[in-house]
Amino acid sequence: MPMKGRFPVRRTLQYLSQGDVVFKSSVKVMTVNYNTAGELSEGARKFVFFNIPQIQYKNPWVQIMLFRNMTPSPFLRFYLDNGEQVLVDVEDKTNKEITEHVKKILGKSKETLEKEEGERKKLSHPATFGPKKYHLRECMCEIEGQVPCPAFVPLPKEMRGKYKAAMKNEA
Amino acid sequence: MSVPRGAIHAKWIVGKVIGTKMQKTAKVRVTRLVLDPYLLKFFNKRKTYFAHDPLQQCVVGDIVLLKALPERRSKHVKHELAEIVFKVGNVIDPITGKPCAGTRFLENLSDSENLTEADTTYLSEKLQELKVRSTDK
Repeated sequence: MPMKGRFPVRRTLQYLSQGDVVFKSSVKVMTVNYNTAGELSEGARKFVFFNIPQIQYKNPWVQIMLFRNMTPSPFLRFYLDNGEQVLVDVEDKTNKEITEHVKKILGKSKETLEKEEGERKKLSHPATFGPKKYHLRECMCEIEGQVPCPAFVPLPKEMRGKYKAAMKNEA
Repeated sequence: MSVPRGAIHAKWIVGKVIGTKMQKTAKVRVTRLVLDPYLLKFFNKRKTYFAHDPLQQCVVGDIVLLKALPERRSKHVKHELAEIVFKVGNVIDPITGKPCAGTRFLENLSDSENLTEADTTYLSEKLQELKVRSTDK
């Protein structure tokens, strides 16, 4: 039973998380002007169709607006926090070239992303256990080398409370 | 009674003007792409903002850039008009700087008034070549 639509792979979480353009924190709005017909706008159309979902998934707080058939030439415009505007002409460029260019001028570099990833990892300790939201494992029985969960493997007699109580009563 | 409110979240936004019936205020509709959790597709979600427009220069249909005010002007007005990006009926293409409408330019792009003698001879030679080629066919 295949997914509905022309390229339904665009609607998968794996595809969305594969986007590598993460904007710097100063980018607030991204505007794409493109045309629905014409060879020069072909790259821009492919960019909007394939890459915009990836970019928006990675940058949920950047406002992205699309304008169709307003001007004869296709372009991208970024509005930064300090009032600066960046105009990117995308006439006669393929969608891959557009994403590379945008990543180079306004994307966070690989080193910054790895540093942020490392800092996020430092906050949570992988050896602790607790609620699934904050830890990897919920109960001590899930950790290798610890006593397995009595729901799956019955505890030995010596560890059970009723045996221990019986021994105490006997003594 | 002024209750201390938090800072305004949206610092810069781009939207379309939908109403100018209020004095010195423009009603602007801002669309953002929001991911539907089941379909995993992005849809436009609209929100209206009120922006302070002191010169009342906005017309319904303009695309405007709004800037957040340092503190809110009134109960609903938290932004002011920073710049009109595209004026309705008078769109200027930012790459060339010429007025355009839809996918065509309104004025002639070629530089026919400022041609020198060398240019005119070159162009007429090119025209001759084209004429010869068409007769050959």
